[in-house]
Amino acid sequence: MKENNVTCKEVMSHICDSLGEELDSPKCIAIKNHLDECTDCRQYFNSVEKTIEFYKLYNLEFNPAMHNRLMDILGLEDK
Amino acid sequence: MNEEQIIEAAKNGDRRAMAQLVKSYEKTIYNFAFKICRSPERAENIMQETFLSMVKSLNQFDGKSKLSTWLYRIVANHCLMEVRKNRHQFVSIDDDEDGYYDNNFAGDWNLEPQNVTENEELKQILDEAITKLSPEYRVVFLLRDVEGLSTEETGKITELSVPAVKSRLHRARAFLRKEINEAFKR
Repeated sequence: MKENNVTCKEVMSHICDSLGEELDSPKCIAIKNHLDECTDCRQYFNSVEKTIEFYKLYNLEFNPAMHNRLMDILGLEDK
Repeated sequence: MNEEQIIEAAKNGDRRAMAQLVKSYEKTIYNFAFKICRSPERAENIMQETFLSMVKSLNQFDGKSKLSTWLYRIVANHCLMEVRKNRHQFVSIDDDEDGYYDNNFAGDWNLEPQNVTENEELKQILDEAITKLSPEYRVVFLLRDVEGLSTEETGKITELSVPAVKSRLHRARAFLRKEINEAFKR
């Protein structure tokens, strides 16, 4: 199973890390088995992953004028 | 020069080294500030305050943590002071954990995250959802999930224990997912 270029192992690591579990711990293995079988949980998990990805990719442009104002305030020069 | 050497040079009064440090982190700090306060103008002010603090206090940086972790702590403190002014608008999620674990999938989750910067409606949904989340939860979610810091680093920055970071992270994720799901249903 591949989810948006993320491997299953990365996905499980992310869940288990959040839960404070090692990847090969009994609880982590049980979660993986459950996710394989339970469509609702898999959908829920995918939507949480998408939520995180939305916020990761929602960035603003940092333009040169902002950089120049910052350097002026700090009394620094680029050279 | 590596970053450690640049920091040492900046501590010893090398203005070019200080400028180099600012340039390395300005974009990250600006976007982190924006992700907490959701206003480009306030984010720029907070970024400026953060680097003023860095220039003033770099001698106090002991090098035991990464410079980025030290800067995240400064910017997070500035952001929290700023957003707490509007405390009344946040939803408390301390007492109603189960209420935010909504396994309803009626929302349309087919949008691709890569398109977020061009989708004004989605940006509005994301802004509204995270603005309702109390700042203490917002910071943990952003540091851990969005910026990719470890649970331990997030705990150091927010002065929370590891279990407290994990608890806030779970609740914040569940809250945001539920808010976005509700919006996708409309």
